[in-house]
Amino acid sequence: MRRMLPLTIALALAAASGAASAQFNLNLNRVFDTGKNILDATKDVNEKQEAEIGRDYAALLVGAAPLLANAEVQRYVNRVGRWVALHTERPDLNWQFGVLDSDNINAFATPGGYVLITKGLLARLRNEAELAGVLAHETAHVVKKHHLNAMKKGKGIEAGANVVSMYLEQQGQRSAAAKEKLLGGMKEIMLRGLDKDDEFEADRMGVVIAARAGYDPFGLPSVLQMLQSLNPKDSELALMFATHPDPGSRLDALDKAAGSRLDRFASQPQAAERYASAIQGK
Amino acid sequence: MRVLLAALVLVLGAGPAIAQETGFAVRQTDVKKEPYSDAETVGTLAEKSQVKVLARQGGWAQIDSGTLAGWVRMLSIRMNSGQSGFASGLKSLFSVARTGSSGTTVTTGVRGLDKEQIQNAKPNPEELKKLAGFAASRGEAEKFAAGNPQLNNQKIDYLPQP
Repeated sequence: MRRMLPLTIALALAAASGAASAQFNLNLNRVFDTGKNILDATKDVNEKQEAEIGRDYAALLVGAAPLLANAEVQRYVNRVGRWVALHTERPDLNWQFGVLDSDNINAFATPGGYVLITKGLLARLRNEAELAGVLAHETAHVVKKHHLNAMKKGKGIEAGANVVSMYLEQQGQRSAAAKEKLLGGMKEIMLRGLDKDDEFEADRMGVVIAARAGYDPFGLPSVLQMLQSLNPKDSELALMFATHPDPGSRLDALDKAAGSRLDRFASQPQAAERYASAIQGK
Repeated sequence: MRVLLAALVLVLGAGPAIAQETGFAVRQTDVKKEPYSDAETVGTLAEKSQVKVLARQGGWAQIDSGTLAGWVRMLSIRMNSGQSGFASGLKSLFSVARTGSSGTTVTTGVRGLDKEQIQNAKPNPEELKKLAGFAASRGEAEKFAAGNPQLNNQKIDYLPQP
């Protein structure tokens, strides 16, 4: 069924994009007129444009599920998240972390430094090292620009490559059609997920980023074991399981990559008490 | 009848006391007396052995296979799926509205993170403004890390792709 999905979406997008295609062709000509080609144009997404795309993407996520109405929990997650993000190669992005008021079990990143975790996942974590592991995995997606790359590639849809360049071309006076197409591309990634290899890479980076930030790096594998122990048919897990490799193969991959490299950091804090008091009763 | 009653008491009584997740060994693995690689080896767990997972400490999981008890490397254990009794998280503290042990949630609103809800989602710039208000500065994060427990910077390279 998963294999069928790209084709279905491609067909749906192709059908839906009829109206916008005339306008797109104009933009394409403009791109060629200025001596650039589409690929170069999409490669050169600068930090400002990345932030802009990421902000629209994040607006869609908080449009799907609102923020948890608890400023203390939101601030706590931001402190942990920003500390973790300081240990990536992009420490000074405009990092913003948030808790979505949803029982769904999931976490999301968008370009430019937005990271969102659901209340459902937060409630199942047992300590701060696990939270740091999840947030570190998400910051890795941002650092490696996995979402931007997925949008540029359109994951096999020709129109996908155009979404980003069309959007950037129209800076300042963006058409409703361009915005609509970009949002469509974002929804597609939210529903289909990133490349499996990008998820494995974010896991490998996540454990290291957490270790750099002074946490027990086994927080993320511990969360993966927790996910593995849940009922995969649980509706709260449906989206995450549809968009990520199964937790067992993620653990297998981490196991192979880590060997004994993380062992000397295993006694770093898990901060279970601080986590409990920050989340307790919230 | 008395047997049934006794069984019921046992089942009900054992439930909430300890969260006992179960899992299995993905490979033959040494069982240590304590969660350290140079601790005494108390036995060897065969591949595919079923175990109760009692606790975790650093990279180690405390297990009981019935014949062997001790600590093994956590990454040598995979969990059995479909365990509704996974209770060691803090989910009760959040008063998450749930029905039944399968975790099915009653959803009343139209918003949410299910497939159809995402397809119908509209951007919410107001909510995004709120999000920005919660952000932590570098200084704030550093101050937080200097708290209790203190988090210390470490140097470590990314793991190579296997």
